[in-house]
Amino acid sequence: MSAATRIGALIVKEFRHLGRDRRTLAVVLALPVLQMILFAYAISFDVTNVSTVVIDQDRTPASAAYLRSYASSDFFRVVGTADGLADVDRIFDRNEARIAVVVPAGFGRSLAAGEQATVAVYLDGSEPTAARVGRGFAVALNQAYGQSVAVEWADAQGLDVTAAGQLEPRVRTWYNPERRSSDFLIPGLMVVIIMVVAVQQTAVSLVREREQGTDEQLAISPLRGWEMMIGKLAPWTLLAFAELAAITAVGVWFFHLPLRGSLGVLALGAALFVFCSLGLGLVISAVAPTLESANMLGLLLSILPAFILSGFAFPLGSIPVALQAFSWLFPARFMVAISRGVFLKGAGVAELWPELLTLAGYAVVVIAVAVVLSARRRR
Amino acid sequence: MSGRRIRLLIWKEFLQLRRDPLLLRLLFIMPIAQLILFGYVVAADVTNLPTAVVDLDRTATSRALSAHFDASDYFDVVARPAESELQPLMDTGRIGIAIVIPEGTQAALDRGETAPVGVVVDGSDSQVASVGSGYASQIVARFNAERMAGQGVQLAAPGIDARVRVMFNPTLAAVNTMIPGLVAAIVMLSIMAVMGQAVVKERERGTLEQMFVTPIRPTEYLIGKVTPYVLVANVQLLLVALVGVFWFGVPFAGRISVVVAGLALFMLTSIGLGLLISLVSNTRQQAQQLMMLFMLPSFVLSGFIFPIDSMPAAIVPLTWFVPLTWAIQILRGAFIKGSGFEALGTQFLVLTAFAVVLFGAAVAATHRRLAE
Amino acid sequence: MTGQPAAAPAIEAVGLRRSFGDVVAVDGVDLSVPRGSVLGLLGPDGAGKSTLIRMLATVLRPDAGDARVQGYSVTRQANRVTPRIGYMSQKFALYPDLSVAENIEFFARLRGVAKAERRARSLELLTGMGLADFLGRQAGRLSGGMKQKLFLATTLMHRPDVLLLDEPTTGVDPVSRREFWRILADLNRAGTTVLVATPYMDEAERCTDVIFLDGGRVRHRGTPAEIKALLPGRLFELRAAEPRAALAAVRGLPGVLAAHLYGDIVRVLFDADDVAAVEAALAGEGIDGAVRAAAVDMETAFAVLAELAREEVAR
Repeated sequence: MSAATRIGALIVKEFRHLGRDRRTLAVVLALPVLQMILFAYAISFDVTNVSTVVIDQDRTPASAAYLRSYASSDFFRVVGTADGLADVDRIFDRNEARIAVVVPAGFGRSLAAGEQATVAVYLDGSEPTAARVGRGFAVALNQAYGQSVAVEWADAQGLDVTAAGQLEPRVRTWYNPERRSSDFLIPGLMVVIIMVVAVQQTAVSLVREREQGTDEQLAISPLRGWEMMIGKLAPWTLLAFAELAAITAVGVWFFHLPLRGSLGVLALGAALFVFCSLGLGLVISAVAPTLESANMLGLLLSILPAFILSGFAFPLGSIPVALQAFSWLFPARFMVAISRGVFLKGAGVAELWPELLTLAGYAVVVIAVAVVLSARRRR
Repeated sequence: MSGRRIRLLIWKEFLQLRRDPLLLRLLFIMPIAQLILFGYVVAADVTNLPTAVVDLDRTATSRALSAHFDASDYFDVVARPAESELQPLMDTGRIGIAIVIPEGTQAALDRGETAPVGVVVDGSDSQVASVGSGYASQIVARFNAERMAGQGVQLAAPGIDARVRVMFNPTLAAVNTMIPGLVAAIVMLSIMAVMGQAVVKERERGTLEQMFVTPIRPTEYLIGKVTPYVLVANVQLLLVALVGVFWFGVPFAGRISVVVAGLALFMLTSIGLGLLISLVSNTRQQAQQLMMLFMLPSFVLSGFIFPIDSMPAAIVPLTWFVPLTWAIQILRGAFIKGSGFEALGTQFLVLTAFAVVLFGAAVAATHRRLAE
Repeated sequence: MTGQPAAAPAIEAVGLRRSFGDVVAVDGVDLSVPRGSVLGLLGPDGAGKSTLIRMLATVLRPDAGDARVQGYSVTRQANRVTPRIGYMSQKFALYPDLSVAENIEFFARLRGVAKAERRARSLELLTGMGLADFLGRQAGRLSGGMKQKLFLATTLMHRPDVLLLDEPTTGVDPVSRREFWRILADLNRAGTTVLVATPYMDEAERCTDVIFLDGGRVRHRGTPAEIKALLPGRLFELRAAEPRAALAAVRGLPGVLAAHLYGDIVRVLFDADDVAAVEAALAGEGIDGAVRAAAVDMETAFAVLAELAREEVAR
């Protein structure tokens, strides 16, 4: 007659429930891996091959040469030509291209005369990321082209180009030299997927006991509140951990995600994180009166914060302070830091101990809250 | 078809909805929470990047360049360390970007040479890396130009005068694309979430069987089930649209008819999908999981958050199968570009096809189920 | 068992009160259930039977008052009460997707029943209830009667002293009901105290004591014989050609305390002693029919007492 026996009985029961529900099992095991593969391919902030339309109203060798610089750039993907400005409106309207470069008549003549030649570059602002980066590239391309034209001309004139000294930025990227967005996103993606599944599963677990009426029978047994929480959590912790391991394997072998840091730290962080997410689900389960509200609350507290407030895809440094503070309430944020730190920065306990400690504290608090809320509800 | 019976069913649904106060509250908190999150976080521009400036030159020039970074909104210079201290600063994430001005920079510039300036970015944060290095380059370019002007060097040489103009969304505010997308996403979320449960719950409870033996016709049942949730979704999306336009200042350049038509079609697809899920699931648990199965990819693949332009060519066809993708294009077109039906012809065609297929299938399946 | 003197009642409640919002479900109930008795809890829907039972089972907290089960307070010593009781709620509360064996195993382990004992006891209980052939079937797939028997078996694994049963045979076929009560009788003979809420009057007959609950209050209590004796007058049965007309006519007669239809028979509570007087009175009104003295059963007692209570209120 001990806590261990009771918890053991509960764990056996939970595993049995899971075993009887084949669909849930399939979803819980297979789906996260499938989703990760899909998303890791799809998610990216890298902007390249932006569809561009070129409009050559000058039709001189000079204008052709100029426009070729766009075609040969990685960033711009020339998808077609058009006749005039009126076409630009239509092209943007129909989403046929995002950038339009217009070379007006007289371009070649201006250059030959040693003057500044005007070109117009239009960007479709409805896709701000592409537009912002596009703007930068367009400016840079034109600067470079202008420079090379100037140098050629000066050479032809026999002038000594006393370029009055220029600063040239040399960019070095640490941790992710190829700047692959996937390296940046996948460690975070794992966190998102686990959180979503974990919270949803436990969110309904207590509500179901209530709806079945078995919660009363549990109440009059010697089972203590915290024993029940642990019993409910344990099987799902195991499963979620298995999922994480599978996803990590896929990330490393399939997507060549580097694993530079301590696997032990990752495992510890993962275990704590899973506990936290499941605990959060239990809190929801304790307060939601019906299955529908449990599901929706689970959605609200799992998907949205995981996606948006965890730093997974959107940097948290620039958002309003109130929201930054809010992000501290969700464990996803810390796990993303741990995940990225271990995979990309080669971090270990020395660097990540604050996050690990926070997760441990969170887990304890959230389970305690679940126990208290659940007890209060019963009577 | 009896209007009275339909009204009765609608009344029953609302009554049941009222009995679940948490759910009701959530139905209205959700859009607001999403508005805040998407409006302020996803749409946030990269600013105040924690920056370190390593000045190994210590000349007037290097200090001037340093000052440029200090003055910029994009960068928040938090440290001026020695070069050896850079690594730990970045490792712990205290800085995201570092500017390294090597020794002898001013001397090189005076000699008329090109002097390199190091820009070190934290590649584990892709936004910081690309956008941050872009801004850094811009600042350097501006410094160059000022310097040239200050030295009175006017190159009487040809060059390119590029007029770069952003159309439709001149401030490039991401919120302007987020909010229209959010309107569509909310419709999908609410309707599917609740529709998915609705029929299953009755099946679980056995009240569905009760329906069979009443004079209620399948069509009436459908209309009665669906209407309350459509009403709720309408209130939600109006909330989002109004807050978006009046609080976030999202421009609305287009025609209401386009928006209404697009949303109506999209609603039909969501209802259809929700109903289908509801009909194939035996328990509410299963319905919930199926729903998640559809929702997560919809969010990710629809271009709502992650641009479709950035997706590999192989994935792009997948996005076509997500109704949300088309709805978002319609809404964004209408809000930002003022696009009309002609410009959005393809999108409307596809969305209509989806609506017909999904809703039609759902109706047929419901009829069959109730007729059994 | 607990060192309490043998005379102490198994359940003793004083002033139990519980409301749900504006509704007062239990309004000051006092109760005393002697050890080894079978107490029937009767009353119309909404009388407060379930609420009362749940308070005694420590599942619901009383707003006022307290109860002692096996000497322990349900409000302050709930964790001493629960090991000694078995509780069956009105709604089937086992796991439908777990099998008969798995359900019993789970709750027994939870209760700390040792492994060897678990096996022996579950076999004994399930065989006694005729469920031995269904060990592997999922509980949700059992018939109504089998579900209730399984439910009972689960609550008996840890050999409780007191059983609290909330309408355990509702919706169960008559054969299974009889079997169920046979089991209860056996348990009672072995010393278990049983408190059972039931809508079936024939079951009420089998209780040692009965309590009528109405509007959250105890209206009558006593042995079935005592309850029946509460009825004023004597019960007569009238078989008339036109029962409905006879009933209407009878109601107007002086000396008639209550009358109702029982199928085709008019049952009359008459303030008289013998059949002759009754026949005379009836003949005087032109009512023709055979009159017979009848024994009061719980059904009638319940109906009449309830009707009298209603009239009282109306007055």
